[in-house]
Amino acid sequence: MSEIQHYLAPDHLDEALKAMADGDVTVLCGGTDLALQTESGLRKYANTLINIRRIDGLSEIDEEDGKIRIGALTTVTDIKENQVINELAPVLVAAADQFASDQIRNAASLGGNICNASPAGDMIIPLLVLDAVVELACWQDGGVQTRLVALNEFFTAPGKTVKRDHELLTAIIFDKPAADFVARFRKSGPRPALEISMVSVGIGGNLENGVFHNVRVALGAVAPTPLRARHVEAALEGKSLDAENIKAAVASAGEDATPIDDVRGSAWYRDHLVRVFIEEVLNDVLEQRN
Amino acid sequence: MDQKVTAAAIEKTSLIGQRVKKPDAPDKATGKTRYINDMVLPQMLIGKILHAGRPHAEIVSIDVRAAEKLPGVHAVLTGKDAAGLKFGFVRDNVALKDKVRCEHDEVAAVAAETEEQAEQALRLIKVKYKDLPGIFSPEDGRKEGAALIHDNFPENKSLHFEFKHGDLAAAEAASDFIADNVFKVHHVTHCCMGTSCAIADFDNNGKLTIWSQTQYPYNYKMDLAPALGIHPGDIKVIQPPIGGAFGSKLDAYPYEPIAALLARKTGRPVKVMYTREEEFKSSPTRQPAVIHMRTGCTRDGTLTFRSADVLLDNGAYTSWGPTIPVVMMRTTSGHYRVPVIDFNAQAIYTNNPYAGSFRGYGNVQTTYATAQQMDMLAEQLDMDPIDFHLKNAQKSGETTPQKSFLRECALDDCLKTAAEATDYTKKHKQYSFAREQAGRYKKGIGLASSIHNAGGAKIHKSDGCGTILKVDDYARVTVITGASEIGQGIDAVISLIVSEELGVPLEHVSIVNNDSDIAPWDVGVHASRTTFIAGNGARRAAQQARTQILKAASGFVGIPATELDLRGGFVVQEQCGTRVIKLEKLLRQMHFHPKPELVMVTDYYEPNSEPEGADHISDHSAAYSHAVHIAEVTVDTYTGEVKVDKVTSAQDVGRVINRMGLEGQIEGGIAIGLGYVLSEEMKLENGMLQNPCFRDYKVITAPEMPELDLYFIESDCAEGPYGAKGASELPTIVIAPAIANAVYNATGIRFLDSPLTPEKVAQAIWEKQQAAERH
Amino acid sequence: MMSLNKEINFKLNGRPVSVTVPVTMKTLSMLRDVLDLTGTKYACGEGECGACTIRLDGITVNSCLMYAVECDGRELVTIEGLKTEKALHPMQKAFVDHGAIQCGYCMPGMIMQADYLVENNPGLNREEIQRGLEGNVCRCTGYTKVLDAVTAVVESGE
Repeated sequence: MSEIQHYLAPDHLDEALKAMADGDVTVLCGGTDLALQTESGLRKYANTLINIRRIDGLSEIDEEDGKIRIGALTTVTDIKENQVINELAPVLVAAADQFASDQIRNAASLGGNICNASPAGDMIIPLLVLDAVVELACWQDGGVQTRLVALNEFFTAPGKTVKRDHELLTAIIFDKPAADFVARFRKSGPRPALEISMVSVGIGGNLENGVFHNVRVALGAVAPTPLRARHVEAALEGKSLDAENIKAAVASAGEDATPIDDVRGSAWYRDHLVRVFIEEVLNDVLEQRN
Repeated sequence: MDQKVTAAAIEKTSLIGQRVKKPDAPDKATGKTRYINDMVLPQMLIGKILHAGRPHAEIVSIDVRAAEKLPGVHAVLTGKDAAGLKFGFVRDNVALKDKVRCEHDEVAAVAAETEEQAEQALRLIKVKYKDLPGIFSPEDGRKEGAALIHDNFPENKSLHFEFKHGDLAAAEAASDFIADNVFKVHHVTHCCMGTSCAIADFDNNGKLTIWSQTQYPYNYKMDLAPALGIHPGDIKVIQPPIGGAFGSKLDAYPYEPIAALLARKTGRPVKVMYTREEEFKSSPTRQPAVIHMRTGCTRDGTLTFRSADVLLDNGAYTSWGPTIPVVMMRTTSGHYRVPVIDFNAQAIYTNNPYAGSFRGYGNVQTTYATAQQMDMLAEQLDMDPIDFHLKNAQKSGETTPQKSFLRECALDDCLKTAAEATDYTKKHKQYSFAREQAGRYKKGIGLASSIHNAGGAKIHKSDGCGTILKVDDYARVTVITGASEIGQGIDAVISLIVSEELGVPLEHVSIVNNDSDIAPWDVGVHASRTTFIAGNGARRAAQQARTQILKAASGFVGIPATELDLRGGFVVQEQCGTRVIKLEKLLRQMHFHPKPELVMVTDYYEPNSEPEGADHISDHSAAYSHAVHIAEVTVDTYTGEVKVDKVTSAQDVGRVINRMGLEGQIEGGIAIGLGYVLSEEMKLENGMLQNPCFRDYKVITAPEMPELDLYFIESDCAEGPYGAKGASELPTIVIAPAIANAVYNATGIRFLDSPLTPEKVAQAIWEKQQAAERH
Repeated sequence: MMSLNKEINFKLNGRPVSVTVPVTMKTLSMLRDVLDLTGTKYACGEGECGACTIRLDGITVNSCLMYAVECDGRELVTIEGLKTEKALHPMQKAFVDHGAIQCGYCMPGMIMQADYLVENNPGLNREEIQRGLEGNVCRCTGYTKVLDAVTAVVESGE
């Protein structure tokens, strides 16, 4: 039995944020995570249940001023099929394509996946590679206030973020990648679509004359939160992408990844896969270039 | 007779071997079919069970007062309401427990008006437990001083089976090669899409009606009755459409008498239905086993002996699981020509979930061992595996050491067909050489076969099936059969057979098999027996009806019955097909006659087989059959993923009756077997299931299904209907070792323990590489 | 304890429906327990098996995870809404004709997803169909005849 006293499904952002002002609120979007977590008892409903699915203006994907802005309500299917994303950030499409099933993709929102903050967060990995920021909005001083948080600073622990209870994640923004930006996403499992990732790896950077700059390496499910693998990045940054440097990058993965044993897999296997995937993905980039 | 008889003759056609649609498919496709899970009865209450959630404990106290007071709650029951009402094969179980012996043990049950109320009531029940040391392996269970799980089963010993034939020591001495390995096969579960569900209602004469997913309605009464303290004859079993069974419904499980106890207490129908999480934790599993197997042969490739020492994890209670040695020994003694056998199996009680019956029933586990040892010996002999298999393959007319009479045996045909279709010998050699070379992806091809009952299995006092058939005044046929439809398609097979015999359209045949008050006895759906036995029963009944009809026709039209036939809804002249009289007209004539005659016939078909005796030496099935699988895989040596590219199956089916249905059974059986060997795994930690959901218990999904190439070898079984043999378990039995052998071919690594998950394969490959690098 | 209820109005299989549901109720429960449309099945309740697949404004979703209140103002189609008065829907007919149905419990969800797949992706090959059905678990058939049926529909161009 829920203790919900109020339910609303506002059409406008300010209406939603006003209702959320006291922070005693459960946000319903696609419902794919909320349904599971409340049924299992992991999460209890707050006083107010707010359905944000109908809020105007949060489902668009725009390219403006050298930035790509994805509304938080955009579904994983929307991302998979969006022309702008396919052209400019195909690594996001790769993750979307391997995200659960059609039925889940059609309902799950990007904002929801980020706020759920699973250590595995499939859509989060490519966004880290794209060095994205999230826009958080709240009602303050009689108006809508927003702030930006870098995605790699957004997560604090499994399921926990810096977003406050009265805030809503409204958009994900990243710089339009340059023409020489290459990126890859690789996820574990023979049936990637129906797995909560055992391991996922995202790598991206600008490849100019065989030298890798601005390298971003993101790992999922091998730490309490999705993270940027700083040691692996350092092993690649500013260096030419060749067999020796790839080997060094793989070797450094152990300093970033701290996987655990759990019901899905052992720490050994996760660590093993991280190395396999990093090597595989970098070799793929190398091969494509040649 | 004013009716003008048209001149159009009707040719003789046959449905046997054709593709026949399943009669209930349209309703299932439109969502019209009401499964037991969908049923709502007037005044029905919802029953929910409080599971212990711990593996081994004394129940110190239960306080149900708060639960009882909750609005909407009509009954709360605990162990005292089932005290003394022992049920189960060895009477070691009760519906509501006095002691906790496994995680899902049923400690209390509630009946309420809504599901929410029932769930809330469960939360209000206060139970005090005293945890006891848990036993989580049979090895621990039989140690000296181990805690006793049941007071009356000393040393935690459950069932024991053995079979010996010939001089083992002499055979060992005569062997040039012996494969000697310990195989460990694991817990998996059926994952029926329709979760377990029962609805019970007592009438005011004290008779119970139970709507059940049972696949053995008659003996089910016998097994359920003691849990309620009533007479089996006072139980009516109704079988609505169900969402799968695969053997899981071959015994009575606690949730069923619980539904009945709640119904009796409240005076209202009570429905108990599992959530998926409950289903994973509480369903009977496939029986896990530790199999120490040894197979010997001489230098020229002749098998000399096979011995198996089997340790079974009985789990907390005894259901079908620990009885699988009865079948395991048949595989041990009958899989290929083996002159000397030594089989021994012991089940030991533990606090793990307990096993029931699951498609393949012990043969899956045993063939995992026998078929891999065949592969190992072929390698030691440096012999083409096909030649080694052919050398030891039985021929028609042979008898196994347990007296299984292989009247029609097509094992060699199956082997040759599969090998040729896949170019097995060449690829096997090629991939063997390739595995030592560098490269991430390795291809492998693996061969396995097995033998299984195909004409029933007389493990009970009767292996028969009753049929009642009537043909009404509209020439519509009703077949009342004891055989249960669990999704496997016996409805299509019986319709086909009856249509064939009586020359009526398929759509004019209907099957009634879901009310134990109406339908005659059948021992149940198991042992791949239903097409064979219910099919024979239906055929015999239809033939009786046919004889009666043609005799009557002959009397009316003056043509000898031997010159008449039934085709397309008409009585016709056999030779030329000329229509003589419309069948429904004839039937009305028979009925509305001074000496009225209705067509209502009965049959009880007992197959020509011998009972399984205590010595296990008997021809316990009316037929046996074989299947050969050749699996082709690609192993990703980095991630350990095994991709199954293709499975070729050659199976002796005797005769194809419903081609489409038979294909579906083989395809589905292979899928279940693939899950078993590659990805399904119940992860138990101290008796507690860690992965009770589809997210973490990995069944085969559509993208993983390989290309299948199916060959049906028709050995024309003398006893089977139109020559058919039972078929549905072999595909699950044979695929697992075929995959294991293919992975060996690709990697040089033997996996004696199932499943071959990516992690396990990757780790084994990595360790092998590490070992190689050290040298 | 009283749960908060809300009246919602939506179109269901072409007809307007008005129903009051608890705000936490899922669409699957609403369909089965309130509206007595039991064609859509509960088989896991966790969005893992697809047996509860329905169409919401034309897209397929797992109704076990979709909050019923989200159906307000929208159009739902369930398995019961596919056939016409006179005939089975082509996808339903294909499943019947190709022997794709055994116990049938997963089939409503399978057919709904297959229909959506084909509608949005003309010219699918078998592998793409396999991927498209990755969220629908079947235990009886091994998917082979399901794939045959969907392939037949793709090829017939319907």
